[in-house]
This record gives sequence, structure tokens and C-alpha cells, in this order.
Amino acid sequence: MNGFVQGNPLLCIGCRTCMIACVVAHEGKRIFEIDPDGYDFHPKLKVVKTWAVSAPVQCKHCENPACLSVCRSQAIYKNDGAVLVAHDKCIGCKSCAEACPFGAIEMVTLCSEQNSDGSPRTVANKCDLCQGLEGGPACLSVCPTEAIRRQDEETLSDTLKRKRVGAAEALLTLGAGDHQSHILKSQSV
Amino acid sequence: MTIEKILSTCVYCGAGCQILFTVDKEKNKILEATGANGVTNQGKLCLKGRYGWDFLNDPQILTKRLTGPLLRKNGRNSPLEPCSWEEAVGFVARRLTEIKKEYGPDSMLVTGSARGPGNEANYVTQKFVRAVLGSNNVDHCARICHAASVAGLLVSLGSGAMSLSVPEIEDAKVIFNIGYNGPDSHPIVARRIVRAKQKGAALIVADPRRTETARISDLHLQLKGGSNLALVNALGHVIIEEKLLDKTFIEAHTKGFEEYRELVKRYSPESTESITGLKPGDVRKAARIYASTKNSVILWGMGVCQFSQGVDVVKSLANLALMTGNFGHSSTGVGPVRGQNNVQGACDMGALPNYFPGYQSVTDKEAREKFEKAWGVKLPDKPGITLTRVPEFVLHPPTPEKKLRAYWVFGEDPAQSDADLSEMRETLHALDLVIVQDIYMNKTAEFADVVLPATSWGEHEGVYSACDRSFQRIRKVLEPPKGVLTDWEIFSRVSTAMGYPMKYKNTEEIWNELIGLCPSFYGATYQKIEKFGAIQWPCRDRNDADRGTSFLHKDGKFATKDGKGVFTAVDWHAPVEVEDQEYPVTLSTVREVGHYSVRTMTGNCRTLRNLEDEPGWVQMNPELCKDLDVKHGELVKLSSRRGFCFSRCFPTERVKKDAVYMTYQWWIGACNELTIGKLDPVSNTPEYKYCACRVEKVEDQNEAERYIKSEYSSIKARMGVDKEVWA
Repeated sequence: MNGFVQGNPLLCIGCRTCMIACVVAHEGKRIFEIDPDGYDFHPKLKVVKTWAVSAPVQCKHCENPACLSVCRSQAIYKNDGAVLVAHDKCIGCKSCAEACPFGAIEMVTLCSEQNSDGSPRTVANKCDLCQGLEGGPACLSVCPTEAIRRQDEETLSDTLKRKRVGAAEALLTLGAGDHQSHILKSQSV
Repeated sequence: MTIEKILSTCVYCGAGCQILFTVDKEKNKILEATGANGVTNQGKLCLKGRYGWDFLNDPQILTKRLTGPLLRKNGRNSPLEPCSWEEAVGFVARRLTEIKKEYGPDSMLVTGSARGPGNEANYVTQKFVRAVLGSNNVDHCARICHAASVAGLLVSLGSGAMSLSVPEIEDAKVIFNIGYNGPDSHPIVARRIVRAKQKGAALIVADPRRTETARISDLHLQLKGGSNLALVNALGHVIIEEKLLDKTFIEAHTKGFEEYRELVKRYSPESTESITGLKPGDVRKAARIYASTKNSVILWGMGVCQFSQGVDVVKSLANLALMTGNFGHSSTGVGPVRGQNNVQGACDMGALPNYFPGYQSVTDKEAREKFEKAWGVKLPDKPGITLTRVPEFVLHPPTPEKKLRAYWVFGEDPAQSDADLSEMRETLHALDLVIVQDIYMNKTAEFADVVLPATSWGEHEGVYSACDRSFQRIRKVLEPPKGVLTDWEIFSRVSTAMGYPMKYKNTEEIWNELIGLCPSFYGATYQKIEKFGAIQWPCRDRNDADRGTSFLHKDGKFATKDGKGVFTAVDWHAPVEVEDQEYPVTLSTVREVGHYSVRTMTGNCRTLRNLEDEPGWVQMNPELCKDLDVKHGELVKLSSRRGFCFSRCFPTERVKKDAVYMTYQWWIGACNELTIGKLDPVSNTPEYKYCACRVEKVEDQNEAERYIKSEYSSIKARMGVDKEVWA
């Protein structure tokens, strides 16, 4: 199973340290020594804030990715448990961004690359789990409230077990017919 | 490459996080900052702590680093030109001496700085003002911030600081969080609130906005702005009416309860509903939860203090803790969480018009004599002018003799941060002498006769006081640019030139002088701070056994003269400028997590600038946006009776329709053009959280965007940014 990075809205304080960490991890520490406008600031995760929720949203590294299936230029591929974009193959058609049910793919313009007609290159940008970078997902390691964790087969299985126990116990305390709404409620807490 | 690891304290808020810097000594560059295992931060850092050192590289995004003194050599209307330190110091000393001779010592005011300089620099500043100028006219930005907490709690409890320490927050059983937006102002303190919640604490949040804390709370009291005191008195009312109070504690450790009981009779949740807009049932529920434990903690911030009734609310919050016996042990009490990194320290050091260092009153003869003996001069016994009254004392002095003539602005930027900016500009124009001492050019420096460049945080040694009274070391990480001096050296040189020689070898020598004069800091030597990482005052003994005090008022013994906590009974009144037909919504100024203070530091950090830049946002309820036909990201015009500015519309359900919210660090989106200079009568803190304003749609968005862009470039150019530097 592909792992993924997941935010917890009960712990997230919306500070966006993760968004900067993402850029620094991918652009490299060189950015602190160059022209302030000479690098790309395109976080691969976005903190979303609504009345009820603050949490980073990023790619779930689907097992059967919609983005991959719509990609006509073979730019999206799977590698070692992650769904990745090969920027050099991306033609900027935006199909993947439209196809992703989570809004986890964003089209971004690169400051250092041009199309053949000289216009700035726009490509698909998404979480790559910091594959190939030292230290694993950068967002996870910098979060001050530990609101971001990596979900893999084991942690997901633990979560599901816990939820099933909760659901089973709810059967005991509730009258028949009422339990479904209670379970839904406890999941939304 | 010589790589060194250097530990220091973060410069960005009162949390006092410890940062470990990796430094390339040969290139004199920071390579990385990571969280060290500090008492407060336990290895964690927020975005400012982690990426906010970039300004030390002088990337010239917003302003240019000052690297030598500047002087208007041919008078007021001539340009600021580079000069030597001898010229600059000579000019300052000569002009101050002339003004003192002609108009007297109280015709000058000097600020302390709650930001980078540190405690030692603030000690030297106030010593200079008191011993050399002969005035108590020294104050700093606590005045526009937590002055209400200091003034209020000194009356109620005898000590104006947080009664508990930051780590204790996570073991609270109840947190009553009022007018405090920790996630934006102190993310690492907010982390303790999140952890308390995880450990099972009940979280009650009183705030007109759905802040992050409100969002995760058990009960959000989304009160109408400006109604704090009505709510707090109503909570007291319920606690008394429902007999939830701690009679034993009240009898043993407090006074003034009867008068308070009488007053709050009038404040039932039902009778105050029309003021607060809160359901009486919710207020009752909050009171019951709060009064249910001896580990109930009250946290507050600017949403309490920046009102014309801030001091009254602070005292009333102390009432709640007193009547429920929430003092005297760990994880209880009151937490006015200090905003800037060293605003606690600048207060500790006596950069206040009424206190010598260590909260020893200038009107106390014994204290005064002690400082007179130590400093070898006669000292003034009359409290000085607060800095928020500078406009009044310049533009409309009570008598012509009382007019302020000189203003030495040290590490602050009133032309950006103070209320009613057009009045502030008028004030700066009308002064005979403006001295600015800073690391960067800023808005105030445009009015300066002389600009004195100082070392930055990261370039000097010293001690900061965190929000919970923790003394922690800051260390020199990088070599400063040639041509700048430490702040304490600048004051020492001017002092010496004015005939009062001051000479210090290093900050430790200054520190030793000051702790020798302050009984509550006496035990906190450099050696002990080094050894234990942090020492919380009071620390009275030099012995290693005295490692400071994590919570105050042990066993209900308060710091007041008679050891009793004092109840204060005060009526609520409405904010000064309420909305009307012409200005139908209210403006409240708030914080942006990625930027600090007036943004001269964070605005010069690449990645923080990437997250948020000019002209900033105005948070508006979606219904208000709909009424005005404005969309997300569109430029809107905001105006009040005092001025106008432009900002970008940010529709959010987290705010109500009757109020809009802006952050104060933007040059073009400068909300302080609108704010009102009306002050709390005791603390003199302005009512930043409430004034009437109007939001208007801007029809020609393209033209407005062009204006923002050209205005931004023009201010940057005035701030000395060299466009060619990255070419």
C-alpha cells in the first residue's frame, strides 16, 4: 500500500510552517543565498481553513490514481510507494489537476524554465513524499504541534482497529437503530 | 569551511524558544536553524523561528541594513547622509544638551526596545534617561500592548507578569482563553494549549473571531467586540449566584470581595446578553466549567488589553481567579501572554516611566536613594510621560512649557505601529529633534534628524525575558557589519559625551550591575542562566539551590504589600468610537503568524515574505463581501475618520458581519491609518481593537493594482533597497 501524509485538524494551528518547509526541502537551502525572486515558491501542500477545520491538504498517493490515468504525456508515474510527476514530461494540460478528487495537484509556473516559444513553463505540482530527499517528508518533521503524520499500512490498520472497537462499544450503549448516527458523530469529532 | 553550532533564544515572540544555529564561520552565514530542547519549546519551532533568520543575510527585500550613522548635515530639509560615529554621537549629545538646557529634562522622551537589543541595552537606556537626561520619560511598546496587564495585575496581585510558566499550561484542567490568539501570536505557546486539550482539559474561548483556538474549543463565546467586561462580570455573577466560589480562599487571601459582589449583581448573563450577544446558557456553562477546578488558567492577549477599558478587564479577570482560589500552586492562575520577544524584559529593566529596574517605583524614596547611590546622581521622583501621549505632548501640550521637543526612538517604529498614523506623522514633523536607532531604515527614520545603526539579534550577547519571566541567554551567532555598534555602546557613548561617563566591557558587566540593584533578579547570574538554560524571576539567591520561581503567589501569598489579592469592582462601558451610518463596521487590528512587529525583520526573510506580502488582507464575513460585491483577492478601500488605506478582501466565515480585521505590519495596507488614538486612562494603551470604519469596492482593479505596485517600489527605494544588488 502507498503511504501518505495526513494532517490532523484537532492539532493543526494553521501556522503554515509545513508549506515553507516543503519549498525549502525541494528548492534546497541555496534559496537563502540567492536573488529573493530567483526561486520557485510552490508548496506541494496547502493549509485549508474553514469554520470547522484547519489542516494541510496534500496528495493521498492513491493506489489507482485518477491523475495518472488521465495523464496523456506519461508525466505521472508510480515509484516506490509514491505517485510522482516528471516535470520534464509534463505538457501542462491540467487534466490531472481536474481529475484529482482532493484538489491536491496545482498548476505552477516555474521561474527558471521556458517553453519552446519562450513563455514560462507551467507544470503540475504535487506532494512527492520528499522522495529522494534526506530525512523524509519535511512537513512532518517541522510541524510544531505534531499535527502531520505519515499514514502507512500499519498506522492505517491501527486507526481502523481503534475505530472498530469504538463502533462495537457503541453497540452496547445504544438502542438498536440509533447506533449508526452515533458512529458518524464520533467519527466527525 | 568552519562550521559551528551556536545556541540562542528566538527573537520573535515571548515564548522564548531555544534555537540551535549551524553557522559557516568563514562566510559569516547561518546555514540552518533547528529547534533546541528549551524549557518552553522542547525542540519545536514555528515558521518565524525556523526561517526568520534570513534577514541577517541582508537580502534587501524590503529595506536595506543600516551599516553606518546617517545625519541631515544641513538641517531638517537636507537628505540623510553618511557620517562618522564621532559626528553622530557629537550631534546627539550637543542637541540633547541644548534642549535640556533650554526646555528642561522632561522635554525629551526615549524609548526602550522590546525587540532584538536585550535586557542589558534596556537597562543602559533607562539609566541614561534617568541619570543623564534627568527625567523618567522612558517607555516602550509595552504601552501599546500589555501595559494594561502590568497596571491591572500590579493592583490586583502585586505582580504584573504571568503567574504561571508556559509548560504548566498543558497540565491545566480548564483554560479560559480570552482575547488571545496564540496560534498567530505565539505558536509555541499555542502548542501547550493543544496539548492541554489532548490531555483532557476543557477549553473555553471568548473571541469575536473563530480563531484556531476557538475552533478546537469545547465552548466558543463569540462575543461582540468591546464587550469583554460585561462578559467577565457576568461570569463572576454566575460564580457567586450559583455558589461556585472558594470562600476559604477569599477570606484568607483577598480583600474587597463585598464591593465586587454588589457590583456584579447587576451583571447577570441575561441582562448582559444585549451587550455581549451571547446566549445566557453559554455564559453560565462557561462559569461552571471555569469554577469547577483548582487548575483553571486564564490566558489573555491583545483582545483584552487594546481597549480603552483594558486595565479594568485585566483586574476583573484576576477577580475570577481570586474568587475560585485559582492561585498558589502549579498550572493555575493568570497568563497575560506577552507578545514581543523581550517586552517582559524591557518592563523588567525599567524602560517604563514609573519604575526603576525590577519594578521598584520611582516615587519610592528608598528605591530612589538606592539608585541615586549606585549611579551617583540625584534622580527625578515624578513618573514620566507614556509614549502613547507623545502626540498630545507635542501637538497639544497641557502648558507650553510641557511641550516635548526631542524623541529618541530606539528599536521601534511608531510611524508604522502607533494608532492614528497621520497624527503620528504630524507629531514627528513638529518635534525639534528625532533620533532613530535601529538595524534597518524604517518609516520613522524618514523623519529622523540622525539615524544610529545598531547590531541585530544574532550579532550580540545578552539576556531576554520570556513571557513567563524566564531569563535566557542570546548569543552572538554572526559578526555584525562593520560600522554598527551595540545599542548599549551607543547610549554609553552619548552619555559619556554629555559628561556622564559610562563604560562597560560586555553585557555581563551590565547584567551584574543591574541584578545587584534588583532583589527579585539578584540570584540570576549569567553563570546560573548558562547552567540551567533558563531562570525565572523572582530568583533572590545566588546559591544554585535557588533556580527561580515557576509560579507566583505560592499558597495564596500575593506580591501586594499586605500579601492579599485585591478584588476590583468596575462597570463596563462601550468602546469610544462606535459604528454609525457613515462608518458602519468596526475595525480591529490583529496578527499575522508569519510576520513580526512592523515587519522590517520578517519582511526581509525570503520565505516569510513569500507567504504574505503587501498590501495584506482584510478579513471580512462573506455576507459583507456579498453586500459590497467584492471577491476574494480584490482590492478594497478602507477608511475611518482619520485616514484610509487599501487592502485585499479575504472572505471568511470566521469573522462576523459587523467587524473587519487587519494586521498592522503593511506599509500600503496600513490599518493604523484608520485606528483611533483613544487611550485607556490608566495604562494609556490605545483602543486598537475597536474603531468605526467603512469598506468600499474599488471599481478599477487594474489601476489599484498598479498603484500598489508603484507605491511599494517607491517606499522600498526610500528604504534604501538597492535594485542592482541581485542583478
